Amino acid sequence: MRLVSATVYALRIPFLAAVRHSLAGRRWSDAVVVRVLDSDGVEGFGEAAPRPYVTGETPADVLEHVAGVLWPAIRGLAAPDLRGPDDLGAIDAAVPDGAPLRRHHAARAAVELAVVDWALRRRRASAALLLPPLRTEVVYGGLITADSPQQASRQARWARLAGLTQVKIKVGVGEDLARVKAVRDVLPDVTLRVDANGAWTPTAAREALAGLAGYRVASVEQPLPPGSPETLARLRAESPIPLVLDESVVTPADLEAHLAAGAADAINVRVSKCGGFARAATMARRAAAAGLEIHVGSHVGETAILSAAGRHLAAGVAPTRFVEGSYGTLLLAEDVSDDGVRFGHRGVAPVLTRPGWGPRVRVDRLRRYAETVVELAA
Amino acid sequence: MNLRAHLEELFEAQTAELVASEPFRALETGGAAAADYDRFVAAVVRTHLKATEYVAFLCALGAPESSESRLRNLLEELHHPGLLRQMAAGTGLGDRLPELEAQAADDIRRLVVEPVLYRTLGEVGLAAFCEVVAFEYMLARLAGRIAVFLAARRGLGPAALRWWTEHAEVDVQHAAEGLADLETYARYYGLANEDGLAIAPLTLRENVFLRRYFPDWPLPAGSAAPEAAPCVS
Repeated sequence: MRLVSATVYALRIPFLAAVRHSLAGRRWSDAVVVRVLDSDGVEGFGEAAPRPYVTGETPADVLEHVAGVLWPAIRGLAAPDLRGPDDLGAIDAAVPDGAPLRRHHAARAAVELAVVDWALRRRRASAALLLPPLRTEVVYGGLITADSPQQASRQARWARLAGLTQVKIKVGVGEDLARVKAVRDVLPDVTLRVDANGAWTPTAAREALAGLAGYRVASVEQPLPPGSPETLARLRAESPIPLVLDESVVTPADLEAHLAAGAADAINVRVSKCGGFARAATMARRAAAAGLEIHVGSHVGETAILSAAGRHLAAGVAPTRFVEGSYGTLLLAEDVSDDGVRFGHRGVAPVLTRPGWGPRVRVDRLRRYAETVVELAA
Repeated sequence: MNLRAHLEELFEAQTAELVASEPFRALETGGAAAADYDRFVAAVVRTHLKATEYVAFLCALGAPESSESRLRNLLEELHHPGLLRQMAAGTGLGDRLPELEAQAADDIRRLVVEPVLYRTLGEVGLAAFCEVVAFEYMLARLAGRIAVFLAARRGLGPAALRWWTEHAEVDVQHAAEGLADLETYARYYGLANEDGLAIAPLTLRENVFLRRYFPDWPLPAGSAAPEAAPCVS
């Protein structure tokens, strides 16, 4: 009943439409999936969404760190006895950090998710027991990419068809106000947020915030590049719109520094960015206790595995104001599971109840879309 | 642009993309292995084996003024599963038929249990209608050509090819009627507007022909929506 092998798949799943924001554009998912297997043949799956501009990781870094550091540390591991929320700490302890910490968050998340999935599948228990759901369904928002106002208008019509009640618009690439106006024209009653991905200078941010206020924008995410919490705090003090921090808040230490400076109204918590489910949940709780709103975010191109973990997180933390992700086959040419995790009309998706994270992953799909496969044995 | 012109443009683009695709060209030029032809035939059988059910669904939803042509289409569709089984048997895939039947049934099951993105059955129907007519449009243009290469390269006889040859003969009319019925449907349910225009590209955001006929062929990343072309990773 101990872990005997692992396989790491560096994927390249094409998108059905390209996605662009101020830091990057992508046409495919470069998720890295980790599959662990025990001596009874029980498996578990985890996923990393490596982003050089968030945690400094590339897919190659994840492969190297999993193969060289994380797998040697967990091979032979007996399944942790996961029974409830108090075991989140045990999960954290089961998977080592590696150093420097931030650089390996996505890799660590993939291994942590795989170990938890495996341990729960052994008991045929759902991840919901780790973070009991506070709601029966999760409501997702849509995403408008950083393209032309015409393209934004087209995407907004799709959001209208899907009945979405909240939409996030990528800004920071020029034509920002025109893009927001184009979306607002199509979606007069929908909650709009914007995300600059750190593209603005303080001066540009002040100008943008003043212009955006006229479009009833609910929040502005990561207006400045990660760096000085004090600079962000000064911007927040002058901003007519609440500020959300994402790339600035990757580690618990980042969170404390920004809380101390009063730099944020909300934080965006993402499982891969934060180094795993347990840490994302802990950071969300800490931020909530400090009076911040929680946005449960996703990385563009997440497959069903990270989407499912994000669903459990979004269902179990409060106050969750906005949730992103679970686009599934709305974005991916094919997902790694046939158990659909994508949301339906109005962005609604149920809490997942199957064993582990929920989706039954298809190894044949992983093989089909894998650019690199690394087999790791005991 | 009106809905019909918009749809024709989409269907044309997807048909051209299918013809230009690597696996299609390999089959047509004889560059493919025998197993590739068999995989192609199996995928076609799986794709269309339940087409009668889809057409019946659309019959139930259809606008009154097009009900006659939709019912006629349904009647013609009734014997197609038999022709598909004939094609499978003629390709030597007879023993795989139970598996293909199960896969085709599972495709419908997954479609039914997946969360619905749209707000009304009318919109769901428009999306389904777009996909069905897309296939009619493509088959009207390519069925004869595919029959030719399956005969020449894989040695299939007339009985095994009858599903293709029938489509080559009648689908020009089907496709024209289908487009007209689709337009009537959209008008009848008040969807011949911006929302209707948005449903079609959302439904056909991936190449449905490549997805269904070559399911094992990973779509190249470059096939993402062309309007987002400035995007680089």
